[in-house]
Amino acid sequence: MNLFLDALNFLFDPANLAGSNGILSRLVDHLWYTGLSMAVAVVIGIPLGLLVGHTGRGRNAVVAVSSAARALPTLGLIFLIILYTGLGVGPLIVVLVILAVPPLLAGAYSGLEAVNRQTIDAARAIGMTEWQILLKVEMPLAMPLIFGGIRSATLQVIATATIAGYVGLTGLGRFLIEGLALRDYKLALAGAILVIALALCVDAILALAQRLVVPHGVARGLTRHTDESAAPTPRQHGRVSPAPSNP
Amino acid sequence: MFTQHRTFTPRRGRLVLGAALALSVTAALAGCSSSDPLDPGSAAPADPTTITIGSQGFAESEILAQIYGQVLAANGYTVDYNPGIGSREAFVPGLKDGSIDMIPEYSGNLLQFLDPSASASSSEDIEAALPAALEPEGLTVLDAAPAEDADSLVVTPEFAAANNLVTIADLAPIASTITLGANTEFQTRPYGQSGLESVYGVTGYTFKAIDDFGGPGTLSDLLAGNIQVADIYTTTPSIKQNNLVILEDPENLIAAQNVVPLLNTSVYSDELAALLNPVSAKLTTEGVLDLNEKSNSDAKPSPEKLATEWLTTNGFL
Amino acid sequence: MVWLWDNLDLVLRLTADHVRLSIIPIVVGFIVCIPFGWLANRYTVARTILLTLGGVLFSIPSLALFVTLPALLGTRILDEANVVVALCVYAIAVMVRGAADAFSSVSRDVISSSTAVGFSAVSRFWTVEFPLAGPVLLASLRVVSVSTVSLLSVGSLIGVQSLGYLFINGYQRDFPGEILIGIAFTVIVAVVFDTILVLVGRLLMPWTRATPRRRSVTSASAAVTA
Repeated sequence: MNLFLDALNFLFDPANLAGSNGILSRLVDHLWYTGLSMAVAVVIGIPLGLLVGHTGRGRNAVVAVSSAARALPTLGLIFLIILYTGLGVGPLIVVLVILAVPPLLAGAYSGLEAVNRQTIDAARAIGMTEWQILLKVEMPLAMPLIFGGIRSATLQVIATATIAGYVGLTGLGRFLIEGLALRDYKLALAGAILVIALALCVDAILALAQRLVVPHGVARGLTRHTDESAAPTPRQHGRVSPAPSNP
Repeated sequence: MFTQHRTFTPRRGRLVLGAALALSVTAALAGCSSSDPLDPGSAAPADPTTITIGSQGFAESEILAQIYGQVLAANGYTVDYNPGIGSREAFVPGLKDGSIDMIPEYSGNLLQFLDPSASASSSEDIEAALPAALEPEGLTVLDAAPAEDADSLVVTPEFAAANNLVTIADLAPIASTITLGANTEFQTRPYGQSGLESVYGVTGYTFKAIDDFGGPGTLSDLLAGNIQVADIYTTTPSIKQNNLVILEDPENLIAAQNVVPLLNTSVYSDELAALLNPVSAKLTTEGVLDLNEKSNSDAKPSPEKLATEWLTTNGFL
Repeated sequence: MVWLWDNLDLVLRLTADHVRLSIIPIVVGFIVCIPFGWLANRYTVARTILLTLGGVLFSIPSLALFVTLPALLGTRILDEANVVVALCVYAIAVMVRGAADAFSSVSRDVISSSTAVGFSAVSRFWTVEFPLAGPVLLASLRVVSVSTVSLLSVGSLIGVQSLGYLFINGYQRDFPGEILIGIAFTVIVAVVFDTILVLVGRLLMPWTRATPRRRSVTSASAAVTA
């Protein structure tokens, strides 16, 4: 408990806030790595997931590749890349993108797959084009799962961006690594608390965004299959993200 | 439990191999029953002939651990290895709580770690001062090897020429324009940030933490000009390969660093010392540098094989 | 790869360590998630608490957890236990959510029917709800298995033996081949674990093969939670 208090003392000491090694500057770096990787990952993962989900083609390949990507050990990957490129932000971003794409992809295509086929057929029947179906029917209905993927990926990226501190970069991981190298538990714990707090804050913001973006009817679960026997998938709407968004 | 008990084939023949196998099987069985990792009671080594040898997070330390370990294994000890333990701040507590029994250490840094105010800087003075500093910690060192591997501040030959750099003190006038890359610990070590300032007046530079013990990341940053000064160990082959310039240390800020086996006092025995001291006596700086070069050569032999080869060449196996 | 051949004993030993250390969290995660998942499915309050807690635990960086655990558990600093317990924590965090989803995927009609037929609450749970939740549980377990195998290598930063050793050693010696072999073997371990889980799943839940499409959809959405 003492250790915990020491860590909190460290965090609330204004002297540790500013400066090039202060909490603020490292927080900004951490957010920068996270934001940049998530932006790249979203640009890759979401359209690909939507494509696969909409057309139903290439699904098995995408599942196989993304589960293989999950098995890739982040640490080995970043060391491998650094041997070729030297230190820098590049290797870190590559590794974080590889980490973030599988949940984004899974969120997008499973979101589309969970949409009731009858709904899509109805949309087609009233004369919607494929683009309209995707943008106006499938995507809004799939939003909870897409957001689930985004939130899950963001959490992982924030937690994993701590390794930046190992490869000559900064970020909140530096507190952890300094604490570890110097056996200063207070510092390591303070670093851990910062990362967790950041993850929770960002997740809360995303939850809020989700509430704004997801149509009310979808969020309230009104899109449940009318077909009673199709139990499993729609029930999970809004529950796939790490924090309960929709109790 | 389940740790590997490596037995090494001594040249003396099958009898010894058989005996060693039988011993290690017995020890493995005994080990399974006695080493519950969650039981704090198992902190003290129950069996003095079972030794866990740790090593630090770089190849040289691991080769040295294998050299000491294989000698013990060939003489009836059961040896476990725990390589890749980070910094001194990690393995000294690990030695004290019994996670490991022994680790190859470097004398000067060890003394400064135990006693930050220590002023000894020659090999002899350090060796003389160590026992007193170690005693309250429950730790002991065996005889130190002649081999030295100290931290050194290196620059590229171009940078040295452009700024007329010969000694560390020459960095002082240009300090505000340079970035120094080293492991995180450098900031708090006596020979690190504080020593640079108080002894050589080098202050105001930017510090970049690169936690790879002067490895490829540090080197590539130095060669790319992202850092101008790097902390790299003197026995690292990359210094010679890239013609890096080691800045001289006329004030002996960086203390002598002889290889020395550091162990928990509870595993010390005269027999252990009698086995390992002759090994240390044969370890020279050139020998260690040669081992490091082989380790980095194209075949990339494992530390285990390098150690076996060295021990065989030197008549210990 | 000449190096692989020359150092096969080392690689295999590390692989064995890797397998041994990653099995524990997968098993523990599976066992512990059942009561918690049931609780979370049954009571909304429990669900909110457990899933929020799971989210918090899952966002702790692994390195931070490895380092903090000795202080909490009283373990020795270099003990394997620290890494194993940390991975158990992650496994449980993911599995509890997965289990809650799995139990809620069981149709209420089926539960009502089995109550009507005369099952007690306990036997209904084990003979009806648990098996029917199986496919979704399995999907989460597969995610846990893959991420445990992949995360374990971080433990080598604090001196715990696994295939992660090859990353650090290979990096130290500027030797990409060694790192590649480490990555390849990690992926192989993950794939073997996954295959075993799928086969066990088929053996225990033969009915799932009849409806491949739905199963894959649930597995995909469970995969999102990882």
